[in-house]
Amino acid sequence: MQTLYLQAIDQHRHRVLSFAHYSLRVREDAEDVTQEVFIKLWKHWQKIDHEKLGAWLMRVAHNCVIDHVRKQRPQQANLDHYAEVEDQVGEESDANQLDQQHFKSQVQSAIKSLEDPFRSIVIMRDIQGMSYEEIEGSLELSASQVKVYLHRARRKLRENSKLRQFFEEQIADKSEAKQPIALVANNDKGSGHVQ
Amino acid sequence: MSSNGESKCYFMQLQIDGYLDGDLSEAQEGVFMSHVQDCSACSSEFRYAQTMQDAVMELPQIECEDRVLEPIHNLAAGGRQVQDDVQRDSLVTQIAGLLNSVPLYFRYGFSAALVAVVAVVVSLSVVKPTEEPNQLIASESVEQYSPEDIALALQELNVAIDYLNQVSQRTEVMIGDRFLVTPLQDFINASFSRAKIRENAPLNNGPI
Repeated sequence: MQTLYLQAIDQHRHRVLSFAHYSLRVREDAEDVTQEVFIKLWKHWQKIDHEKLGAWLMRVAHNCVIDHVRKQRPQQANLDHYAEVEDQVGEESDANQLDQQHFKSQVQSAIKSLEDPFRSIVIMRDIQGMSYEEIEGSLELSASQVKVYLHRARRKLRENSKLRQFFEEQIADKSEAKQPIALVANNDKGSGHVQ
Repeated sequence: MSSNGESKCYFMQLQIDGYLDGDLSEAQEGVFMSHVQDCSACSSEFRYAQTMQDAVMELPQIECEDRVLEPIHNLAAGGRQVQDDVQRDSLVTQIAGLLNSVPLYFRYGFSAALVAVVAVVVSLSVVKPTEEPNQLIASESVEQYSPEDIALALQELNVAIDYLNQVSQRTEVMIGDRFLVTPLQDFINASFSRAKIRENAPLNNGPI
C-alpha cells in the first residue's frame, strides 16, 4: 500500500497543488490544501476506486478549496493584495513582458474571484488541460453542464471590467500587429454592438 | 447599425469560444472568420478573448516541492502502526462476528463463564494478601510457645477430636435408625403380614 500511495502522490501532486494555487492564489494555503488532500487519500485509501483516482483527488481538492475559502474569507482582501505585489515584483523584464505578466496576474485574480463551479472548471480545463470526462468525474457534473459552465466562466472573465480596461490600455495596441488573422479596421467603433 | 447586424454580432460573439476550442465545423468557421474580418467590434472582442485564453492557458503548472509533502511521507512511513491498529480492529470485529454467528444460549453462557472466571481471579487476588499476614502471625505465635505447651495443646486437641468422633457416630446411628433401618423394618414386616393374609383368604375373582 505504501509504495502505491507514494506513486499516487508523485503522479498527482503538481496537479493538486496547481489547482489549489490558482483557486486560492496564496502559496501557503495551496500547500495546506495539498497536504490535506493527500492525508484524506491516506485515510480513504481502502475505500476509493483506484481507477478514478485522479478524479477523486480533484474532487477532494475542490472541496478542500471551498472549505478553505469559507474559513479564510475575512482575511482574503489582504492576501490578495500581497499576491498581486508578489506577482508584480516577481518578474523584471522589458515593458511588454511586464505588461503580459501583469495581465496574467490580473487574469489569475479574476479567475479566483469567480464563483464555484466556474472557477474550478476554468482551472481544470483551461489551465490544467483536463478532459471533459475528468472534469465531469471530479465535479460530479454532466458533460453538457461542464461545457455550459465553462463558456459562462470564460464570458464572466471577459466581462471583468479591470481586465478589459487593462487589455485595452496596455495590450490591445501592441498585440494588434501579431494577430494571425487579417483584421480589417472599420471606423464604426461604438456602434452599439453587444459587449 | 441595424438590429439585424447587432443580432449577427451577438450570435458571432457567442461562437468565439467554440472557434477557440476548435468545435466549429468548417462552414461555421468560414462564416465566423469572414464576419470577424469585416466587423471591427467583433474582431476586437475576438482579439480580447484570444488574448485572455492564451493568458489562461499559458499559466504554468505549479511545481509541488518535496518539502510540501514531507509530513505526508512521514505519515506513510509511520503507516505500519496504523495498519496494525486496523488489523487489531479487524480481529475484534472478527471475534464479534464469530460470537454473533453462534446460538444465543452459547453467547450468554460464554459471557457468564467469562464473568465467573474474572470473578474467581479477582477474588483470589483479593484474598491472597489477607492470608499472608495470618500466616505470618501464626509463625510468629509458634515461636512464642514452649514444647510443653504445644504437647498439652495437642493432647487437648486429640481429646476434642475423640469427642467429636463419638458425637458423629451417635448421630449416624440416630439418623440411621430413624431414616433407614426403622422404615426398612416396617416395610418388610408389612410385606410379611400381607403374605399371611393372602394365604388365609384366597382371592375370589371369578368372571364379572
